[in-house]
Amino acid sequence: MDAAVKSEGKSRLLRTHGLLVWYNGLVVLLMAGFMSITQEKIISAMAARSFLATIPIVPLPTAKGFSLAVGSYVLLMLLGSLCRRRNLSNKNLYFVIMAEIVTCLILMHSLNLGYDGVVLVVVADLMFRYQGKNQGWLLLVTMLGLYFMASYNLALFQSHVAPFDAYAAYYRSDVQAVLWAIKNGLSSLNIIIFVFYMVLLVQDKHDEKERIASLNKQLGEANDRLRAYALEAEHTAETRERNRLAREIHDTLGHALSGIATGLDACIVLVDAAPEAAKAQLAKIRETARRGIVDVRRSVKKLRPDDLEKLPLRQAVEKLIFEYSASSGMQTKLVVLGWPKDLRPDVEDVIYRIVQEGITNANRHGQATEVVITIGTEPGRLYIIMADNGKGCAELKDGFGLRHMRERLELLHGRLRYWNDKGFTLEAVIPLGKAGEQVEKQGDEHI
Amino acid sequence: MKRGFALYVVFLLLFTVALSWYLTKPKVLYVGLFAGSNWDVPEGDSYAMLEAAIERFEKEHPGVKVKYVSGIRKDDYSEWLAEQFLKGTEPDVFVVPGADFDLYAASGALYPLARSASVDASFDASVYYKSALDYGKWQGQSYALPVGAVPTLMFVNKSLLAREGIAIPANNWTWHDFMQICRAVTRDTDGDGRIDQFGVYDYTWRIAALTNGIKFFSADGRTANLADKKMEEVLRFMQEIHEVNQGQEVQAKDFDMGKVAFRPFTFAEYRTYKPYPWRIKKYSSFEWDCIKLPAGPSGRNSSLIQPMLMGISARSHEQRLAWELLKTICYDPAVQELMLTKTQGLPARRDVVESPQAQALFNEATPGSEEMNLKTVSEVMDDSITPSKFARCLEALHLADNKLQHIIREKDSLSSALSQVQKEINAYLQQ
Repeated sequence: MDAAVKSEGKSRLLRTHGLLVWYNGLVVLLMAGFMSITQEKIISAMAARSFLATIPIVPLPTAKGFSLAVGSYVLLMLLGSLCRRRNLSNKNLYFVIMAEIVTCLILMHSLNLGYDGVVLVVVADLMFRYQGKNQGWLLLVTMLGLYFMASYNLALFQSHVAPFDAYAAYYRSDVQAVLWAIKNGLSSLNIIIFVFYMVLLVQDKHDEKERIASLNKQLGEANDRLRAYALEAEHTAETRERNRLAREIHDTLGHALSGIATGLDACIVLVDAAPEAAKAQLAKIRETARRGIVDVRRSVKKLRPDDLEKLPLRQAVEKLIFEYSASSGMQTKLVVLGWPKDLRPDVEDVIYRIVQEGITNANRHGQATEVVITIGTEPGRLYIIMADNGKGCAELKDGFGLRHMRERLELLHGRLRYWNDKGFTLEAVIPLGKAGEQVEKQGDEHI
Repeated sequence: MKRGFALYVVFLLLFTVALSWYLTKPKVLYVGLFAGSNWDVPEGDSYAMLEAAIERFEKEHPGVKVKYVSGIRKDDYSEWLAEQFLKGTEPDVFVVPGADFDLYAASGALYPLARSASVDASFDASVYYKSALDYGKWQGQSYALPVGAVPTLMFVNKSLLAREGIAIPANNWTWHDFMQICRAVTRDTDGDGRIDQFGVYDYTWRIAALTNGIKFFSADGRTANLADKKMEEVLRFMQEIHEVNQGQEVQAKDFDMGKVAFRPFTFAEYRTYKPYPWRIKKYSSFEWDCIKLPAGPSGRNSSLIQPMLMGISARSHEQRLAWELLKTICYDPAVQELMLTKTQGLPARRDVVESPQAQALFNEATPGSEEMNLKTVSEVMDDSITPSKFARCLEALHLADNKLQHIIREKDSLSSALSQVQKEINAYLQQ
């Protein structure tokens, strides 16, 4: 409904502008026609010499003057419609406006300043494109200039045109009175149309402002709603994840542990009476524990980072480094001196997390611009050294990130060292099995 | 891009076609002038001089035609010219009537000649009589060149003076000499109690003022200069002349019958009525000649000249050629010489008037004028003024005529009467 009202207002504005333009065209046609016909009459009445004596210039020949007036008005209309195009660049707009003003002056001159209403057509176009403060002065200057140039009383211009009076003076005095009445009537009607147009234009601009304000408000509200929804969604995801973890723990660890507990109860009873049976029972319990471990591994696997899930560790680490340096602007270099084969997913996970945490720290806390990551293997272990050129760590106390790293490494019987040296250097060592694989037993115990 | 290029090519093509059409079209210049003499005397072939000038011009500028409309009477010319301007068909080069000169110059209809003259090394404005050249100026700018001019001289009835035993006055005579002769010749010859022989006919206050060093109006045409001592001298002199005639008005018939000793006469009239056909017809009963006007106590034997002006339309498309044509008519010495043989005027160029062959040509064209020395005429031309030509000057002069005529007859107190006239004319001029 709002849009309907708006478009109706717009079309009323357009119609009024059309009326202004065509009305002025009609008046220009009438004025030019009147002057041409009068000039012809003066010639045929042999009053040319006395007519010339009453005017300060030699007017244009009839046909020329008429076609100049009509032609320049047509040009003015074209420029006006060009000026109203929305897709006009600012530079072009100024050019079109200048051309319009010049055409308007030519037109007024060709009408011997007998009709200055066309100025209002130009002003209407200018007002239409009025955009704000920076154009205010331009508009003011232009309008003042046009007004002064149009001002009939300006002596400077009066001495360069053949005034309407001189043409009117050819006729009888009663006819003259009628001519003046018509001329003044035409001018007044033009002003009325112009004022009406301005009122509509101001109303239109006002409506538009209101519409934009209300749209702004709606947008703000939608934004707030969206933020609340995002929070809620996050919360829901967290809850769902917790539930899943709980279920997972319940299904895997819970199941295995309760099985182990029950089996151990049986063992306690059996251990004295039937040590053999107890042994057999313990073997079963071990089986249960192993199954439990497998289940837990599977669960943990579900929680791994996405890249690690899809890519081999080396590519995942390279991608991580590349993306981070691309996004942070920090120069990151990866030096690989040896790469262990067949790593377990949890070890891969720890390596990935250490690299991730290390470069994050280097950038965030050390404000380093360059970091070199060296990964290599020695018999029975793997080491990661990350050296940056940042400001280092003043107190060398375990931050959250470092504690996290240490905890992860301790689970694998690894160790973490760090020191300040032209920046901050961090070294992580992870023990490995002989064939690049960790000792089964150790790994089993420390998931 | 492609479309833009095509448009560009089309534009270029059209431009070339238009340019070549413009460059190759035959050029035609139009000249505007009237039939008959500029100085209101009968004239045989009024286009003879123009025809000769056109012939010279077309020979020098091949591919250019010069045309003119013939048969426009002098009385209709001003209106005709105004109509042409309103229609936009005004000629490129045309005679500018003195009364219309200010009008056209002020309305920008005339081409400012300095634009062409200042870059034309072959043109030197100082060859013209200064007053004739200045007649074509408006606000110090030259808008028209003089073709020819005629000074006003004093006609002397030689037969009458001989009969009265009076010698013909010298060219440096004064009002005093003039008045003495007038007194001597004014009398009743047939004894009927009425004066039938007179001193002067048609001698107006304007001519008297002129020879007493008075300029009627200020340069801008806003005030009159009629209330000073010199003007009082003029009026006193006019009253004396009036008294000598004892209130009797001299008629043109008295003059034609040889009963008047003096009459101001234009050079054109002199040239027209001196040679054979007109002499027989008009002034057959007496011998006559022309001398300079008598000088007033505060003035000289100066004269009033009436130049004939030609200008170029500011809207002419061929202003360069128009300037060349104007130069051919007004500046070319050979064409200027034709003023002496083809018209009743005098060339506007001093060097042409003063050249030895000019006198011969003049004597040949004006039989019976052997005593008229062109050197003397040239002196008159040098010491001459031109009539005012601002818009309301004619009306103002008519107004002054009436008022002064009254003063001369009534013999009022001169200074107060004059300041009254001055006031009235100023009021008129400043309306």
